[in-house]
Amino acid sequence: MANKVSKTAGTNKSFIDRMGGQQFIVLILVIVMFIFFSAMSPGFRKYTTVVSILDYSYYIALMAIGVTFPLLTAGVDLSIGTGLVCYSLIGGLLVRQHGLPVAVGMLVTVLIGLIFGIINGCLVALMDLPPFLATLCTCMITRGFGAMVVGGYGIPWPAAAQEGGWFRSIFKINVGGQNIPIGFLWIILLVIVMSFVLNHTKMGRYTRAIGSNKEATRLSGVNVKFYHIMAYVICGLFAGLAAIAYSAIFATVQPGSGAGFELDAIGGAIVGGVSMSGAVGSIWGTLVGVFVICLLKTGLPFIGLTANWQQIITGLVLIAAVLFDILKRKKEAGK
Amino acid sequence: MKKKVLAVLLGGCMVAGLLAGCGGDNAATTGDDAATTEEGGESSGGGDYHFEVVVKSFQSTYWQAAIQGIDAAVEELGVTVNTTGPNAESDIADQVNMLNNAISQAPDGIALAANDQSAVLDSLQDALDAEIPVVCFDTGVPDAPEGSVIATIATDNEAAGAVAAENMYPVIKDAIANASGQVRIGEVNQDATSANISGRGMGFINKMKELIEADGKTVAVIGNQFYVDQVENNGDEGSADVIIEVAVPAQTTVELSATEASNIMNKEDTIAIFGSNQVTAEGVLTANSNLNVLAATPDEGIVGVGFDAGATLKAAVADGTLVGAVTQAPVDQGNLAIKALYDYCEGNEVSDIATDSYWYDASNMEEDTIAPNLYD
Amino acid sequence: MGEVILTMKGIDKSFPGVHALDHVDLEIRKGEVHALMGENGAGKSTLMKVLTGIYKKDSGTITYEGKEVEFHNTREAQDAGVVIVHQELNMLGHLTVAQNIFIGREFKKGIRIDDKKMNEEAKKLFDRMHIDIDPTETMSNLTVGKQQMCEIAKAISHKAKVIIFDEPSAALTEAEIEELFKIIRDLRAQDLGIVYISHRMDEIKVITDRVTVMRDGTYVGTLITKDSTKDDIINMMVGRVIYEDPKTKNMTPPGAPVVLKVDHLNAGKMVQDVSFELHKGEVLGFSGLMGAGRTETMRALFGADPIDSGDIYVNGQKVTIKSPQDAVKHGIGYLSEDRKRFGIVVQKTVAENTTMADLDEFANGPFINKKKENEVAQKFVESLATKTPGVDQLVVNLSGGNQQKVVIAKWLTRNCDILIFDEPTRGIDVGAKNEIYKLMNQLAAEGKAIIMVSSEMTEILRMSDRIVVMCEGKKTGELDISEATQENIMNMATREIE
Repeated sequence: MANKVSKTAGTNKSFIDRMGGQQFIVLILVIVMFIFFSAMSPGFRKYTTVVSILDYSYYIALMAIGVTFPLLTAGVDLSIGTGLVCYSLIGGLLVRQHGLPVAVGMLVTVLIGLIFGIINGCLVALMDLPPFLATLCTCMITRGFGAMVVGGYGIPWPAAAQEGGWFRSIFKINVGGQNIPIGFLWIILLVIVMSFVLNHTKMGRYTRAIGSNKEATRLSGVNVKFYHIMAYVICGLFAGLAAIAYSAIFATVQPGSGAGFELDAIGGAIVGGVSMSGAVGSIWGTLVGVFVICLLKTGLPFIGLTANWQQIITGLVLIAAVLFDILKRKKEAGK
Repeated sequence: MKKKVLAVLLGGCMVAGLLAGCGGDNAATTGDDAATTEEGGESSGGGDYHFEVVVKSFQSTYWQAAIQGIDAAVEELGVTVNTTGPNAESDIADQVNMLNNAISQAPDGIALAANDQSAVLDSLQDALDAEIPVVCFDTGVPDAPEGSVIATIATDNEAAGAVAAENMYPVIKDAIANASGQVRIGEVNQDATSANISGRGMGFINKMKELIEADGKTVAVIGNQFYVDQVENNGDEGSADVIIEVAVPAQTTVELSATEASNIMNKEDTIAIFGSNQVTAEGVLTANSNLNVLAATPDEGIVGVGFDAGATLKAAVADGTLVGAVTQAPVDQGNLAIKALYDYCEGNEVSDIATDSYWYDASNMEEDTIAPNLYD
Repeated sequence: MGEVILTMKGIDKSFPGVHALDHVDLEIRKGEVHALMGENGAGKSTLMKVLTGIYKKDSGTITYEGKEVEFHNTREAQDAGVVIVHQELNMLGHLTVAQNIFIGREFKKGIRIDDKKMNEEAKKLFDRMHIDIDPTETMSNLTVGKQQMCEIAKAISHKAKVIIFDEPSAALTEAEIEELFKIIRDLRAQDLGIVYISHRMDEIKVITDRVTVMRDGTYVGTLITKDSTKDDIINMMVGRVIYEDPKTKNMTPPGAPVVLKVDHLNAGKMVQDVSFELHKGEVLGFSGLMGAGRTETMRALFGADPIDSGDIYVNGQKVTIKSPQDAVKHGIGYLSEDRKRFGIVVQKTVAENTTMADLDEFANGPFINKKKENEVAQKFVESLATKTPGVDQLVVNLSGGNQQKVVIAKWLTRNCDILIFDEPTRGIDVGAKNEIYKLMNQLAAEGKAIIMVSSEMTEILRMSDRIVVMCEGKKTGELDISEATQENIMNMATREIE
């Protein structure tokens, strides 16, 4: 959309705006950060480190793609982090304790994510709970629910060498001793698909419309409730997919963990140009924003900064991103 | 047995029954189990004592093993027990809150595994005022008000760390002796605040330093300031033969532990690495899934040593990815904590107990002294 | 004018406590522009909402294209060809023009939205309207006028046969209004029936063919525009209402000093060059139609909105008011038109609300002197005759009139000498209204100076000593009560015919 605007008013747009605005700046930032960390640390420039960064990015990227939809409706979903752990625990339990095939466990994991998405959507769209509150509640519920179902035990999904370990190669295959991070391909594929959904289908159009002006959208005869719910369903679905990515990358899923994951995802989306006040943002932007967060997480330890700095710096980057958004809107309001 | 305590955890939660379908035997979330607990409560014979247990978290399966030991004691002594704990070991305030609740229940005794030694001091004073005896297990509270803690049942963590060093050193001894330049040993510690982790970390560092220096080489400890500051006669980083690098992740997630581990394991001169609890040991393994550098000897790669157990760690030790790991005796600790409370209530003398820690590797994992402590 | 396309007959609609529409009739023909006029609250918008299915009528019939119909929502009305162009623009700022026009009925190719076709169709619409707007432009980048054109294009694209314009010109510039009229004439030539709601008398004369006048939810009559004068229309709008003891002469003591002087005040579009004086012991009424800029003037005066230029004098001294704190410091109190949002904290007690504006008075260091607070609150409960079980009652439990009294008490504790009442009796029943009026007169008699903003003509004529009339951000007249009539006030409140 941003491109279309620039086509008509191209002459008075800056170079950065023509390149996609915030998204473009953030992409440059990712490249600069990568070069900077590579220059500072020999360990960082290794291929295996790149694979590791990608490994740790999948679940955040998937959560972030999902949460972009509630964000675009001017809402939010705080339950994705603890939800991810909850879904993964339940799916893993079925595989570990009940001997179900891994594929079934994965399916259940995604389905539970979907169900919690529907619950969130209904709370927000039908019962008019503020999204922050509704999803904070489901955040607590999923945290307790997951731990309860597994009885407090950590759940290791099958290791690569074990029976059912094939699912770990969804994200990483070993060719001649070299790990190939094919998970990245799936992420790119999903970004393309969800960009299409966002920009070229009713689903995406109405998601943005709700975030822009919900009442006007309703008066235009759009089934606002349905599409509002769907934004959270997509988010839940992607939290389910993120749960699979998390299970496949990490050895053990620990009950009670997961709180805070959602902040990485939401932070990524915002850094990537998604506006907390709705309607503005893109899936590509979100993906690029997630990489800023992931590079900060992995890069700063490599250059010898104690990891507490990572949180401070991530916070500063978020403030910068939000300020950028506010300034942009002020400028637009001014003309 | 395990079922019972778990059911206590879920006690009162009506949803538990609904989950019967998902629960299964190990998870023990069925309505039947909840019923069992109540029976246990009613039929409790002996001194008819009720104890409150506050563990560090339910995040790690370590605590499930401790609960197994508690359960055994409950069965044996005919007492009742209610176990609580926060979601994560970093939820210090939550735990204090739970401890205060436990005190207000006015039980016959409290077993506590404190997440933070200073945060619980006020509560311990309250317990003392209320004349409720407290047994600390897993972690001691050194500054506890006089008389509040009747016994501490904990691993000697310094010794446990030393066990890891003692067993790692023979594997890397030749590599250190024959090295042409500096070599590096890594240690990943979950935090620099809890006495357990820091005791363990320092135990490993001091023992390793002692062993290496005994063979005529010099050692420099670098990395996290908290640990470095505690080292006596630290060597010079530039000239030392062996560097011990200590890393601490920002949060206790596997992913950040793995990042810290990768950083060390990526360095050319690294010959060994030690993850000093379950999360950091799994972090080392996660890092290795991409780096593929862990090996049985320094000639082939990096020698990895873990701490505690869990399915993932056990599998890694069994297949030789880690040369071995140190396990504590959580079952014993839980068991002994309840027994100490019971003895005290019966008017017997109780005293501190330092429980053992054991080295285990592929060869001795199945042995009777080791296996029960290797929780999943 | 062609044949009748739409007839509304005997439309009746009640809301709890309000009889909003009382057997109203309206008839629209093809190829006519039909004005719908009336004072604020006469029921124009309600009638249109009934027509387009937003409200359900209690009784009456709607006949459209020869058949009796009842639309259940805007979608059904749109599909049948009855479309409303809203007063507040219902647009989605973040979407493009074409996306806005076709929202809810996108063209599709499989599951893909066919943006290309939507852009082409939008272009065709604009060509038909002889205007130049790029369909791919983002909506928020357009001027308000252009946005309005898009709304109209959207209406036309529904194959509309009847289009309702609800105060379309309110936010437009002169040039934009010209363009709008051109389009409306085009539509009329294409045999559409057009309903045009507006307060602007000059526009009514220029663009409309017939005028239907409503008053207090009732149908007054329909005139042929070119055969009638402005006075005819105004007479129908105000009608003959019997007022309860209207003030007949200025009660301000002669020679009362000027306590507030506002000189050439400018603040945004809605406050342009406003000057007036307020005397001690006077009730100064501010009259005008919706959107005349009265509330905006008061907000600027009170420091709630920034002032662009102009001077304010309190008791002869020039003062600077940049925030409500400044205003309060100079003894100005403001009772907002929206009590619930700005006036009171409903979940607090009567006493807490009473002392809120002047808490320092009731505090010993950081502690609030509850006893003193309760005493003062009790004093005002008695003097204002507030009906409450006690000063510790939560304000939310009081009636509207009594809530208003708590707000008044709040400002009286501050010893404010200048009180601005913005719509003081909105949402208050008749009995309580009289008490508020009595109270205001009493305050004026005690020497307080009062500004009363009101949209109710009765209220203005009953309470004011003098009346300032505003229209579209400008002061258009000032009258002494002795010379004020409904007709001359309404004359000033509506635009002159040029």
